[in-house]
Amino acid sequence: MSVSPAKSWPKMTSREEFRFLADLVLTRSSGDDTIVTLHDHHTGTTRFANNQVIQNVDTRRGTLSVTVAYAGRRGTASTTDFTAGSIQATLERAERIARVSPEDPEYLPPPEPRVFAVRPTARPETVVAGPARRLEYANEAIGQCRMENLMAAGIVSSSVSSVGIAAGNGLFGYESRADARFSLTVQAGDATGWSAAAHRSIDHLKIQERTLAAINKAKRGREISELPPGRYPVILEPAAVAGLWSGLLWALDAKSYEKGTSPFANKLGQRIVDERLTLQNVPGHADLLGVGFTHEGLPSESSVWFDHGVLKQLSYDRFTANAHGVQAIPTLEAPALSADGAACGSVQDLVKRTDHAILVTNFWYIRSVNASDLTLTGMTRDGTFLVEKGEIVSAVKNFRFHDSPLRAFRQIDAWTSPMEAMTSETGKMLAPAMVLPEFNFSSVTRF
Amino acid sequence: MPHPAWDEFAELVLKRVTASGAEYGDIRIQQATSQTISGEDRRIASICDVEDTGFGVRVLYHGAWGFAASSILSLEEVPRVADLAIEIAKGSASLAIKKVRLAEEPVYRDRIVTPCRVDPFAVPLEKKTDLLLRTMEVLHRQQGIVRSSASLWARRDRKLFVSTEGTHLEFDLLAGQGDCTATALQDGRFASRSFNTPHLRVGYELIEEADFLRKAPRVAAQAVEKVTAPAVDAGSFDLVLDPEHLSLTIHESCGHPSELDRALGYEANYAGTSFLTPEKRGTFRYGSPQVNLVADNREPETLAATGYDDDGVACQTWDIVREGIFVGYCTNREVAQTIGETRSRGSNRADGWGSVPIVRIANIGLEPGSATVDQLIADVKRGIYIEGHGSYSIDQRRYNFQFGGDAFWLIENGKRAHMLRDVIYQGITPEFWNSCDGVADRTSRRRYGFITCGKGQPGQSGWMTHAASPARFRNIQVIRGEGRS
Repeated sequence: MSVSPAKSWPKMTSREEFRFLADLVLTRSSGDDTIVTLHDHHTGTTRFANNQVIQNVDTRRGTLSVTVAYAGRRGTASTTDFTAGSIQATLERAERIARVSPEDPEYLPPPEPRVFAVRPTARPETVVAGPARRLEYANEAIGQCRMENLMAAGIVSSSVSSVGIAAGNGLFGYESRADARFSLTVQAGDATGWSAAAHRSIDHLKIQERTLAAINKAKRGREISELPPGRYPVILEPAAVAGLWSGLLWALDAKSYEKGTSPFANKLGQRIVDERLTLQNVPGHADLLGVGFTHEGLPSESSVWFDHGVLKQLSYDRFTANAHGVQAIPTLEAPALSADGAACGSVQDLVKRTDHAILVTNFWYIRSVNASDLTLTGMTRDGTFLVEKGEIVSAVKNFRFHDSPLRAFRQIDAWTSPMEAMTSETGKMLAPAMVLPEFNFSSVTRF
Repeated sequence: MPHPAWDEFAELVLKRVTASGAEYGDIRIQQATSQTISGEDRRIASICDVEDTGFGVRVLYHGAWGFAASSILSLEEVPRVADLAIEIAKGSASLAIKKVRLAEEPVYRDRIVTPCRVDPFAVPLEKKTDLLLRTMEVLHRQQGIVRSSASLWARRDRKLFVSTEGTHLEFDLLAGQGDCTATALQDGRFASRSFNTPHLRVGYELIEEADFLRKAPRVAAQAVEKVTAPAVDAGSFDLVLDPEHLSLTIHESCGHPSELDRALGYEANYAGTSFLTPEKRGTFRYGSPQVNLVADNREPETLAATGYDDDGVACQTWDIVREGIFVGYCTNREVAQTIGETRSRGSNRADGWGSVPIVRIANIGLEPGSATVDQLIADVKRGIYIEGHGSYSIDQRRYNFQFGGDAFWLIENGKRAHMLRDVIYQGITPEFWNSCDGVADRTSRRRYGFITCGKGQPGQSGWMTHAASPARFRNIQVIRGEGRS
């Protein structure tokens, strides 16, 4: 292999360099308030399909963004050119926009300066991982599939970011972040199996174990039967649970809540889901992608969103929080869902104790159907099985679901401990696999 | 036009690529300038000007790809990134089983500029924010409206594409769009109604001609009518779909399955594959004989009409479905030969300098028929007329889909009656298109564009336009878009 494993290029923007760039802007700005943000991102992805590499890319993009405000009139401009002349021009663009912008009645000055939590967001093994490491992992997954005469398609990626925020009032935050991702679809003829991971440490992607899991799913899917659409008990694997909860979490916007255009309207403090379910933000958890601060310069801290089924938090913008006296704005970039009580050890244990259910590996293309009651739709994908008398008896053709997580999670029958969960379309969370007594599948597809 | 130094950078890169022994290489240097003005509830919530400049180098070495990109345009960075792209390609080649061979394409030297009457970046910002504020004010005049939004977007792409084959292309492209939405609240239920201009490659004249202030009262009134309208009763209905709505149906159920890279399995891990597998080409009945779907990347003002794609292939026009039979794919220089075609269809596009080009849906449109819209409706006893975009979802092989819409009217005995709410229709793609028994004529043809078509890993946003005249579909399964309490 000709690619060197670790490279000194590119040198990411350091804390000192960001402070220098920020000072360049802050000392020259004529605004009442000025905010400078940095997102310097270096990412590489090795993508494979049909058991060979089809795409192998490496991109570095540094973006500096400047927001200037004069008495509530605000403008933002950004650039990828970090030369002094370009940064000056970007500041001038932001100033020009702000001067002619209408006053924003919801404008708030930057958050007060504070010390942000220091989190291990940039693990060295991920920072130094380059194309060679990615290729090695891709080759490992492909090799395992090839040995089984199956087709592999997937990605291995790693990325490093320097993220910063600085404001004229002294607010300053800087963080190095790194993460690695792996996802794999194994094709066995018409059947597919899937597995995915994301972690701060590239050493924790567990390529071999996850490849084997996807292979087993695909092999199990070879014998397929068709069931009619309808309401079924379901065993949802963690990725499927995470998919539905992502749809739920998107709808927690506080401003919509206050204006009555939220499915949660008037439900703060009420029980929404099964009383054994608790959802927290846990930015310090080693298996989640927590950060020290948000893009707005707010601290990311632990918070409880659903406490034993009761809705405790909303997703606040700063204006709405201020208007309702919410002092500490909760964030939700490291969600962890858990269930109280005796947990089963694994998905397999859930299967063993189930008389009749559909086992769902993952959902795909989840979209809102009705924002008033949070009805969602989507497809099952990459491993849908019929469970009878404690055993998987066959794969079944994929279903379309039409249901609301607000209804579906009102009662859970059994669950595992929280596990790492990735979905095809959303971020990472910790979620248990769960058995729900009833879930609505509205149609079936041809495979 | 592109900065004079860009040509020097390109030469520097291509010399290194050629010296490495690679069989092909290209560089795209791009400066994307965009402005987004977002209004929400009678206020301007944000104004954001973005300048995104950088370059990407693509190398094909011993039949395998490497790509590297950077936002630093300097004499130190450019050769370093070129060398990295070569190194990555060599790494890919070490695992390659099937070697990539590019379909032949003539060498071009050209310059493409979007014609426009009013440069959107020269229009005073105050004029734009004033339009949005007044539009939201008009929306809120309607009793029952509790929320509003309005936005304007414009983007300019200055780009240089140079390849080791000698192609040298300069681009100065524009695109723009505007929209507004009103949300009505009634008895704890809420509903929105929108007006959008299409995304088109034109200047600010698109916004001026859209006349938001005149459309806003209707949008607000229909939001209120929609939230109070009766919910649909599930069952079988004839549907008459308007061009904006059809643009999404075409996109999801015809556009994506006609991407050859999907059919070959390249997207198996993310966006999915396609039921339109190569052996079906030329024989598979995709739709009724009334269904003619044509890819036209040469129609002026449309998003994919950029003169050339990011393979340096000239834009073309070709059939995807002819009289109901599936006949053609969207391809690039890499995959065209796998189905025996000697030339790419020119559908390889990246969403910026930092992304590698991948096969993208072309400007696929439904060819007009001969009826008028009134004639289509007149022949419906019990049906629904659907406008605009709503909920949408489709399986990963593009068979099973489900669509909502922005506004729905019951059709009874050949006439549009009252509005309905919560209409969702389901189908299986070929069954649905085979139920099409009428397409309206060219006078009602409209174009709608997409700039957020997600595909690829890392994810990219594709741009394309879908044109259609209203069309009628018989006996489609409709369900009510609400859950069970």
